[in-house]
Amino acid sequence: MTRSISVAYAVARKDLTSEWRTRELVPALGQFVVLALVIANFGFQIDSRNATVIAPGVLWLALVFAGLVAFGRAFAAEREQASLEAMLLTPAPPAAIFAGKAIAAALLLIVCEMVLLPAMTLFFGTPLNPALIVAVLLATVGMAAVGCLFAAIVARVRSREVLLPLLTLPLWIPFIVAGGQAVQVAMGASGNYNQAVALLIDFDILFLVLTSLAARFVLDD
Amino acid sequence: MTRYTRLAGLAVLLMLAAGALIFFYAPEDYLQKEPQRIFYLHVSAAIAAFACFAVVLGGSAVYLRTESARADRLARAAALVGVVLTTVTLVMGMLYAKPIWGTFWTWDARLTSTLVLWIIYAGYLLLRRLAEPGQQTARFAAVVGIFGFVDVPIVYFSVTWWRGHHPGPVIVSNALPPEMLFTFMVTMACTLFLAAVMVAIRYRIETLMDEAPSPASAHLVGAAAREPEPAR
Amino acid sequence: MIYLVAAYVFGVLILGGFLALSLSQLRELKARASTKK
Repeated sequence: MTRSISVAYAVARKDLTSEWRTRELVPALGQFVVLALVIANFGFQIDSRNATVIAPGVLWLALVFAGLVAFGRAFAAEREQASLEAMLLTPAPPAAIFAGKAIAAALLLIVCEMVLLPAMTLFFGTPLNPALIVAVLLATVGMAAVGCLFAAIVARVRSREVLLPLLTLPLWIPFIVAGGQAVQVAMGASGNYNQAVALLIDFDILFLVLTSLAARFVLDD
Repeated sequence: MTRYTRLAGLAVLLMLAAGALIFFYAPEDYLQKEPQRIFYLHVSAAIAAFACFAVVLGGSAVYLRTESARADRLARAAALVGVVLTTVTLVMGMLYAKPIWGTFWTWDARLTSTLVLWIIYAGYLLLRRLAEPGQQTARFAAVVGIFGFVDVPIVYFSVTWWRGHHPGPVIVSNALPPEMLFTFMVTMACTLFLAAVMVAIRYRIETLMDEAPSPASAHLVGAAAREPEPAR
Repeated sequence: MIYLVAAYVFGVLILGGFLALSLSQLRELKARASTKK
């Protein structure tokens, strides 16, 4: 068990360090979400009245697209360097390697969210409270697990940019439904926040278990 | 092969018999009038599709456990038939919805999860088509097949839960008069038989493709567990 | 009314067409397999 944790930690650290060195993904994602907000402003004609109605949708759109990019990249570099194969040759359990990559990708997306949420507050005047942050973080966890699993699957396939969203989005729908509800309530709409968050936690647990079971089939070469 | 042709012929005859029941025996619905007859094949196709995807689930699970090529072939065959049946379900459903509800589509739980079902298994088929044929692809597809099947009830549940906040058109289901119920049961049985025949034929096709890989057969659907082909 | 007709025409075309296509595919594969041997 401790071996798994240290493996996961090592893999996550490796991914995060290499991202820190190249600094490609996070700035690109940050710019992307800001741009998305700007476009949303024009597309939806957001003003102070409809901001809390439209903002949750914009949030999820931005998050989904950023997530697809972030998780898609989790295994792309590996493919080029074949370091994944090397890692699998070690006695490290595949589920731990997978967990490490998923954690790193999730953290990168979370950094991006830290740009997105304040930017939304700035541009649209939506509230920024712990409830909102918790909802987004919980959804990110589950989405990262599923997203990275399918990213590993499509890593070696042609047209992976098309295939990844196709495979991943249906499985993200539960998170977007529950998370969307939670975000809406956190931003001021009426509804049951606790119920939505409980649902998010349930989905997180379910998909974390499923992906960790599946990881060894997906990474095993 | 003539065995398959005969089975197919039998299935077609059964479907025609069901059709006769649908159009000449079943009474017209008092409220919904003629379009209601769509329901017989629409629901039968949906049930047959779910049955196919259950087969995909079973085949995928068995494949992950045993690496049996036959299980993988069965999953492939059933997935294609399932997608075809789901297409029929969705289109007939839309044509049913328009006269009854006034709209082709609504985002209620049933429609949404059926659409998601279609997307998931279309993705399954696309993955098999695009990836290099082989054991790894088969394993990946099996994971997709299993996740997909699990996802559909979750989506259904999510939308139902969410819909508690957003009421939408409700499908009124009253008890069916006996003639309608009989027609439906017959149609469903015939459709299930048709689906089984289609899966059997596709399974045979997959087996033949596995045994004789050739560039010419590359255009046919299905990625088998065989030597990797040269890239197209 | 047109919806009823359209729905069944579509259903029959798709299912029948798929069945026919599969059968002809099967026939072609069988023929190829037997010529190989």
